Amino acid sequence: MSRPGRQALPLVTPALLVIGVLFLFPGVYNVVLAFQDLTPFDAPGDAEWAGLANFQAVLTDPLVGSAAVNTVFWLTAATVIIRLVIGMGLALLLHSRVLHRWRLRGFARTAVLVPWMVPPVVAVACWKWIFDGNTGVLNQFLVAIGVLPEGVPFLAQTSTVWWSVIAIIVWRELPFVVIVLLAGLQSVPEEQYEAAALDGAGRWASFRHITLPSLRPVITVVVLMTVIQTFNNFVYVWLSTGGGPGTYTQVLATQLYSKAFVANSLGEGAAIGLAMTAVMAVFALAYLRVSDRGRVEA
Amino acid sequence: MAASAAVALCLGLAACSGDDSGGDGPVKLVFRQFDPESEIGGLKTAVDAWNGSHPDIQVELQTLSPNNIQQFAREANSGSGPDINQVAFADVAFVANSKILQPLDEYLGAGKDDLLATDMVTFEDKTWAVPWTADTMALVYNKEKLGSNKPPTTWEELATTAASIKNGFCFPAAGSQTSAQWFAINYYLWSHGGAFIQNTNGAWSTGATKEQLTSALDFFNGLFTSGATSKSFQAVQDYSDPSIVNGLATGDCAMSYMPPATFATLTKQAGDKVTSAPMPSGLTDGATHLGGRALAVNRNSKHPDQAYEVIKYLTSAETFKTYSQYPASKKTLTELDVPEAQKGYVEQLPHSRSMARYIGSDLTVASIQQLVNQQFSAVYSGQSSSADAAQAILDGLAKGLKG
Repeated sequence: MSRPGRQALPLVTPALLVIGVLFLFPGVYNVVLAFQDLTPFDAPGDAEWAGLANFQAVLTDPLVGSAAVNTVFWLTAATVIIRLVIGMGLALLLHSRVLHRWRLRGFARTAVLVPWMVPPVVAVACWKWIFDGNTGVLNQFLVAIGVLPEGVPFLAQTSTVWWSVIAIIVWRELPFVVIVLLAGLQSVPEEQYEAAALDGAGRWASFRHITLPSLRPVITVVVLMTVIQTFNNFVYVWLSTGGGPGTYTQVLATQLYSKAFVANSLGEGAAIGLAMTAVMAVFALAYLRVSDRGRVEA
Repeated sequence: MAASAAVALCLGLAACSGDDSGGDGPVKLVFRQFDPESEIGGLKTAVDAWNGSHPDIQVELQTLSPNNIQQFAREANSGSGPDINQVAFADVAFVANSKILQPLDEYLGAGKDDLLATDMVTFEDKTWAVPWTADTMALVYNKEKLGSNKPPTTWEELATTAASIKNGFCFPAAGSQTSAQWFAINYYLWSHGGAFIQNTNGAWSTGATKEQLTSALDFFNGLFTSGATSKSFQAVQDYSDPSIVNGLATGDCAMSYMPPATFATLTKQAGDKVTSAPMPSGLTDGATHLGGRALAVNRNSKHPDQAYEVIKYLTSAETFKTYSQYPASKKTLTELDVPEAQKGYVEQLPHSRSMARYIGSDLTVASIQQLVNQQFSAVYSGQSSSADAAQAILDGLAKGLKG
């Protein structure tokens, strides 16, 4: 090893150790586990080699297929798109001169952050109460104003359950999108809007030709990060519906949990985990590429 | 300098992690239980009383709620964990199979004959835990709301009575893995001659016909279509959900079912407005389940003798003077002075049978519970017909039993 290399080694060793112990080892162990037969009650040394049996069991399970569709469409695509649209609207509102003029900007920005301060478990518990068919405030309100003749069990019927879960996720996770987009908006030079106004551009034209193109890198990062955060999310679905009614809201993360900790097959759980990791790796690589491109352009 | 600090830190940590009962000090034992804090006031009193009268053996009561037996397994497999661990009956076989408990036969001796549910704590002819508390689900009802109707003694009577009252029968009917509809479904099936799986001369197979399962699915779905149960209960997972407990207390619900600890909490709120009765067919042997908790000694405990001394105290009548559970000791059970409202439980308990009927196959009880809850929920929500759901349950069980 060259002299500069030898000098650098002690400096990078702690970081390499952290990466190795906290990230590399669990990742490799998960791969090994996917080929083993082991229950949560056994010591790792008791594991037996299972070959491809875990993958075969997972791939032939129709529930895993429907869970994958739910994960991609409902849990990830729908919530990311809705967060992006509402988040953009709120970010524009928070950036507007109107709120500034009314001296409400500080209050509004704090208010938007409130859901983020609520732990997800507490948020789900509160929303379950809101959605309750008998005593929930939403049902009581809708019945009181005559929209519904009687309470609706939002989390128990197929026509409403996914929209209810999406409402919980969007409410709790929206602040991140708003904050990042707001930061992006604040970096767009005001002169561009003034020049566009002189040229006769209206608000929509300014938004379309100045705001959106300027925010494109930020939006790309937000989309990639929220997809990565949401795709492997377990808490919202498990706590709000447990995957029901029936298996209607099962997602890959809840399937992973069921295989590993309900059926006590850590190997099958690890096999699902590997598949999820492969999908996430694509998004993570895209995210790294976008970040790198941003750095080069800067 | 940094190296010296690291060595000093390691030595300090080593000193902290050593046996804390070395020397002449008292033996310190950790006793971990998983019931919610709201239900263990009496247990705390009993443990405090032990600590007061046994300065040489001090017990630290630890609560890790809800039940997480896998956490105990992780700790025990890594050489740590509490000395005494409360274990649900259904979990004993898993931790016994992993040999992370100490066999207790030499301590128990002939005392084992006095205990209920010993089949749930015996594995490979050894006793791995001491049955501690016994419970079952009894029918609980609001006397005023039920009116002149008598508590139903059959499931068919329950459906008829409940349909004649608004919210006649409130029960947790969610499709989640832990949903407590599982108990009522089993009670119905057992009282109609079926079971989800059965062991015949060591061979496991499905224990109900498609017709029996279809009938069970139609029965529970019928409670919603007849108006006996509000559809909002399809999102309720637990018998202690406020919609059930408050419903019974205020009279919004006429009947439900729950274990004794939840009933005790309910009576604090509702007073004598509520009372208990045996479940439909609850006085038929084996038509209801005998659940409960056992006490096990961690194989890593350095003080198994003292741990067993504490277990003996916890299973004694003295503990149950303040701890509002039913003891799994037949002798202690007979010594209990049970309030009139709890008579339903006491009448039913001798007829209840443990879940041992489901233990020992390649399927875990939790995975049968998940499959059943999902399929029943699928029928309630209109995703499946009862015949399709029955077939799905049979297919799922058969696949699981193959391993």
